[in-house]
Amino acid sequence: MNLTIGDARIRVPSRIQQGDTIQVHAIVQHPMDTGFFRSADGQPIPAYFIKDVTVLYADRQVGHFMWTSGVSRDPVVTFTLVADREGPLTIRWIDNQGAVFEQTARIAFSTT
Amino acid sequence: MPRAPDEPRRREFLKQGLALGLAVAAGQALRPGRLVGAALNPDPEVPNEQVARILRDLFGDRPIRRGHVLLDMPLVAEDGRVVPVIIEAPDLPMTTENYVKAVHLIVDHNPDPYLAAFDVSPAMGTLSLQFRIKMKRSTWVRAIIETNTGEVWADYARVNVSLNGCG
Repeated sequence: MNLTIGDARIRVPSRIQQGDTIQVHAIVQHPMDTGFFRSADGQPIPAYFIKDVTVLYADRQVGHFMWTSGVSRDPVVTFTLVADREGPLTIRWIDNQGAVFEQTARIAFSTT
Repeated sequence: MPRAPDEPRRREFLKQGLALGLAVAAGQALRPGRLVGAALNPDPEVPNEQVARILRDLFGDRPIRRGHVLLDMPLVAEDGRVVPVIIEAPDLPMTTENYVKAVHLIVDHNPDPYLAAFDVSPAMGTLSLQFRIKMKRSTWVRAIIETNTGEVWADYARVNVSLNGCG
């Protein structure tokens, strides 16, 4: 599996009833370089990390995370969400060079 | 059965243990509203001016009290590049009137101690965050939350790092 920077996944439960508090797992591929390391040929590796994460659920902002390069590479985050309506769950990651990565999962209720 | 020669000392020891237990129980009773066990250990000292400034900038002179927050981290982190963190506040409400507004994670002896901040909202239902961080060396980690009413609650974890995660 060949992953590139910015590839992102969101995992939500497969069956959701309205009103459930669900767990949302999200991961984005990113090196999260601190700027403290050098490459094999001695060149400093500049700081390069996700610094801003926005969570939007059915067009409302429900969370906003501010990170530093102290978060591990390929950052994962798990949080809870009250599934009170159907709609898109979008997470937007922004790195310190201004690149924007986005992924969306659909919150839909089971009929049974 | 013959009595062991050290029996009196053992009795004494047991008595002391009982007295300590009672004192701890009394201490708990005097601190209503806190999670059990939270009051047992003293808060870690602020290690340096850098951390002191972070705390001052975030909370001013509001008291940072231990309680309500649970910071779950390994006692020993074998790889400082990937240390799991769980922050929860199961007994704090997440309603539109009363909710946790923000979560701050401070790692005392990291090059950049103020590692992450999370603005959260009642839409999350409860406060439960999991992620992974880098740690340079063994140090205290502080999880500090703010409620919308301005209260500040904290929990602390001492993590021993075997392999440095910051170069």
